[in-house]
Parts: sequence; structure tokens; C-alpha cells
Amino acid sequence: MSCQRLRNWIEERYDVEGMKGLAKQKLVPVHQYEIWYYTGGIAMFLFILQFITGMVLSFYYIPYFEHANKSVIEIVTKLNMGWFFRSLHHWGAQLAITALFIHVFSTLLLKSYRKPRELLWISGFILLGISIFFGLSGYLLLWDERAFAAVRVATGGAGNLPVIGGFIKAFLRGGIDVTGETLTRFYAFHVSVLPLITLFLIGMHILLVQYHGMSVPMSLEKKPLKQIPFFPNLFYKDLIIWLLVLGVVVSLATLLPPEIGKKADPLAPAPENIKPEWYFLFLFQTLKLFPGDILGLNGETIAIILISCGILFFFLIPFFDRKSSRGEKSILFTWIGVLYTLYFIIMTVIGYLT
Amino acid sequence: MKINYSLVTRRTFLNTLFGGWLAAFCGGTFYALLKFAFPTLGKEPDFVVLKTADFMDIPPNSVKPFAWGGQLGLFYKKQSGSTYALKGVCTHMECNVTYKPEDKKFYCACHQGWFDEDGKNIAGPPPKPLEFFDVTTEGEKLIVAKKGIKVELPKA
Amino acid sequence: MIRKILFACAFILINAATLWAQQETIEVFPSAPYDRHIIFQSLALFWVAIIGLIIIIRMKLKEIERIQKMGIDREEKNIPLLD
Ligand code: HEM
Ligand code: FES
Repeated sequence: MSCQRLRNWIEERYDVEGMKGLAKQKLVPVHQYEIWYYTGGIAMFLFILQFITGMVLSFYYIPYFEHANKSVIEIVTKLNMGWFFRSLHHWGAQLAITALFIHVFSTLLLKSYRKPRELLWISGFILLGISIFFGLSGYLLLWDERAFAAVRVATGGAGNLPVIGGFIKAFLRGGIDVTGETLTRFYAFHVSVLPLITLFLIGMHILLVQYHGMSVPMSLEKKPLKQIPFFPNLFYKDLIIWLLVLGVVVSLATLLPPEIGKKADPLAPAPENIKPEWYFLFLFQTLKLFPGDILGLNGETIAIILISCGILFFFLIPFFDRKSSRGEKSILFTWIGVLYTLYFIIMTVIGYLT
Repeated sequence: MKINYSLVTRRTFLNTLFGGWLAAFCGGTFYALLKFAFPTLGKEPDFVVLKTADFMDIPPNSVKPFAWGGQLGLFYKKQSGSTYALKGVCTHMECNVTYKPEDKKFYCACHQGWFDEDGKNIAGPPPKPLEFFDVTTEGEKLIVAKKGIKVELPKA
Repeated sequence: MIRKILFACAFILINAATLWAQQETIEVFPSAPYDRHIIFQSLALFWVAIIGLIIIIRMKLKEIERIQKMGIDREEKNIPLLD
């Protein structure tokens, strides 16, 4: 390239060689679990895609309960490429959350959370929670019957938490019930609050990865492993995978555009057999396991408390798993990891099939 | 001419191919995005259909507004009784004009532009005459069309 | 009696028909055959472009690995520039 003058201009001001050296220093170990390193990159790529499609959707979307549903319909039926970008945002969300779940479970099973990477686990877990909230809040923006019912159920479920439940429910709904106020609120969450927190957390997550380097699974720690540079070797491999993912989302968006239901009516009966989005199914299914009341206590409340404890344990797992922090084999936590993973998969499948 | 060594290294060749392909790919993808991000523009209509009864009976030396797409159209009857239709939008900076019956002129208040009864720009900044349309009647229907447009009414 | 039953049947039928009619869904995909044609064609082209890019990237990767094996990836530091 002959932009020599531009290059000189930059090089006189910044230590380009130094930065290049830094990029070359990053080495990544090669081993049979390497494939799980890519799941984080896929999630990040899909997040970027969500940001781009979300920004253009917000050019046209009207966050007011009278017009919200109609504005989505107009996007889909009247605007150039509107049906495509709405569908792309929908499928991008599905795949982003899938990739994130796979990423989280793979780091759980490989115990990459162990010392010194506890904060990576924490920030990653919060990112997973945030993207689920992204999904829920985005879903309400459609303001159709299903979205309305789903958000009512989800916020109502949070309301079952003892002591703080009532506050959370009121905060989320912006009132005692799901109304136009809730839509305004969820819009603010979806396009402003959550994106900003997400940017911050992703930045932190990636900086921490650079700082610690890639973790090596415990079983391989002692063996001599070949290392290859991240740039350019792995960067190009990432690029290949991103391109494939892009192809898949675009194909899904084209071939299976999601439906839009009728405008939500707070007074109408709930539509038949509503199901939450797939990433809520494991919670939904767990709630069904509990009888209406247990020893005179509200069964739902007990279920919610147990679920919260399960999630809290999951969140703090790096601190409970002392053995692997010390670098010893920790079979108990391998089993706990397997248990969590299987529970999630089985409950989601059962919820999907019934 | 045959040269025994290559002027281009394998790297340069690959880099150019890669860069070019990537640029084309991103360009195509970005084009789709821009297509959605730029507003889907409605076109200015070629013609509008009005009701004859609403317009033909206006008094001489007066105008009656109608909607020309999203803009102002004026139906105009001269003192002589002949009828016209024109776009009521100033050719200077797109303000709406008004008709001054006492002067038999069109006036634009934005920068004091004047047009005579044939729409010619006679005073002030407007650079071009007002746009006049073709008016035809088909029984009930009064068809106002851009000059030189062949009107094809939808069969209904 | 029979008339009543007939009326009831007609009533149910009409109701069913209106219910059916109400279930019209919103078109979430362009319906004109020409548009559909263009869309599927673009999708195919998109995949061709992606596969092309992937092939080029793999060629680049091979080249990078070749150079790394030769141990000369600390490229052109002191080479005089030709332009
Ligand atoms: C990880 C990030 C994100 C996820 C998981 C996500 C998820 C979703 C979901 C599931 C929907 C409903 C789509 C449908 O079913 O039609 C939606 C809609 C929407 N999202 Fe996002 N979103 C994300 C980021 C963003 C960002 C950053 C913005 C804007 C700054 C945004 C703007 C919108 C808008 C305006 C809608 C309404 C249009 C519609 O319903 O189709 N999104 N989002
Ligand atoms: S816009 Fe009419 S005179 Fe300037």
C-alpha cells in the first residue's frame, strides 16, 4: 500500500511497532479443547451484530404503547429491507444467547473459572444475565399479545421472591401491572441502559482475557503444549468462524422470519398455550415441578427461593471450588458442573416438547 | 514479454485478493444496511384524482387547495373562467404560496416572491415559474396530472 | 324444531367462518414472486461470497504458516522500501 505519508504521520505520533509487538506476543495453546475458545468470540460477534441491527431498528420503532405494534408492522411490511433487519435482530438474539450459554457451560466444565480468573467468570455470568434481560425487554417491544403475556408472567415470577420481590416487580413494571409505562421502561432498558452496561462489561471481560491469557484445562496443565500466535493465525480462524455464523444468521433471517401477533390488549384473555422464549423454559419447567403448597407454605415461593439459591451458587462457584483454585483435581465440582449442564439441557428440551 | 521472476510476491497477491474481496463483501452488506437506514421515500405522485363537483364550481378569480401527495396543490379559476391546477409550492425554497385575488398574483411570504396568474416569476427571489398541471375531467373524476404524464387509472 | 337446529348450525358455521377470517396473519416476508426471487438469489450470492472469502483466508493462513516455518516472520524490518 502506498499510504506511506499517512503511515508516517501515525508512526511519528504513536509507537506502532511496539503495539505490533504486543499483538504478536499473545500466544494461544493448542490442544483438543481449543474449539471452546471460539464460543466467546462468536458471542461477541453476534453482540456487535445486535448493536448494528438494533441501532437501525430504533430509527423507525416507536416506543409508545398505542403505536409500538403498528410501527413494527410498518417496519416489516413497508420499509426497504425492513422485514430482513427485524428478522436478523430476532435471530441474532436467539443465536447470541445460545452462544453465550455454550460459552458459559464450556468454561464451567473446563474449570476455566479457577484462580486467578474469578472475575472473568463473574463478568461473563452477569453478561449472560444481561442478555437474557435484553431478550425479555426486546420481546416486549413488539407489544403483541404473546409478548404482553410473557412479560406479565416473567415479572410476576420475580415478584414471588420474598422481601425484595415486590420492589423488583414494581421497578420492572413501572407500576402495579404491565402497562404502557412498562413498555417505555423496557425500551429504555433495551436501547440505553443494557447496551451501556454491556459495553462496559465486554470491555472488562476482554481486557481480563488479555491480561490472564488463555486458560489451559487442568488435565493438560502439566504437559508441554505447542503455542501459536493469536495474531495472525487465530485471528483468521476466528474470522472464518464469524463468516460462517453470519451466513447462518442471514439464512435463518431470510428463511424463517418471525411472526408478529395482534396488538396487546390488557383486558383480553391470554392467548392459547403461551410459551416463554426458550431460554426461560428451564425455569418455567422447574416451577412446574413444585406443588401448589408445601406444608402450608406457598409452593411457588419455595421454588423461586430454591432456584435463586441454585443460581447464586452457580454465580459464586469459583469461590466454592477451593480445590481447583489450589491446582488440585476437584472431582466433586466436575460432577456439579455436569449436573448443572444436564439439568439445563434436559429441562429446556422437556419444556420445548411439552 | 516474458519475465522469469514474479513482480508480485505470493503475500502481496493474497493480501490484495483478500482486501479486495473483503471490501466488496463489506460494501455489499453495508449497502443493504444503508438501504434500510435511509428512509424509504415516498414518490411525488404522477397524478391525483379529485371529485369534479368539489372544484369546478368555485367562483372566478379564486383558488381551492387540494393534496398533491404530501404537498399543497391549488386549483385555480381565472377571472375569465378557465381552470388550472398548479403546485402551490414556491420554486425558491419550498414555502407554500397564497393567491392574492386583488392583484391576480401568487405571493410567497417567505422572501416576498411574486408570480403572475400564469405562474411566471415576476418579482423577488424565485428562480423558476410555478409548476402547472394538466387538468382533465372524466365524469365524476377530476384528474390532475403532471404535464406529459399518461394517466392510467386503476380499473375498479 | 328442525328450523331451530338448522338456525343453530348456520349460526355456528358463520361464527366459525368469521373466526377463521380473523386469523389472518401479518405478512413478514415480501409476497411478490419477483421480490422473492431476488431475495433467494441474493442469499445464494451471499453464501458464494462467504465461501470465497473463507477460501482466500485459508490460503493466507497456509502462507503465514509457511513463512513461520521458515522462521522469517520477523518481516522486512530493515529492508529498504521500494516505493
Ligand atoms: C445483545 C443484545 C441484544 C439482544 C439479545 C436483543 C434482543 C431483542 C429481541 C429478542 C427483540 C424482539 C425481536 C422480535 O422478536 O421481533 C428485540 C427488538 C428490538 N431491539 Fe434488541 N437486542 C439487543 C440489542 C439491541 C440494541 C443495542 C438496540 C438499540 C440500540 C436494540 C433495539 C431494538 C429495537 C428498537 C427492537 C424493536 C423492534 C422489533 O421488535 O423487531 N436491540 N431485541
Ligand atoms: S421560498 Fe418563496 S420566496 Fe423564498
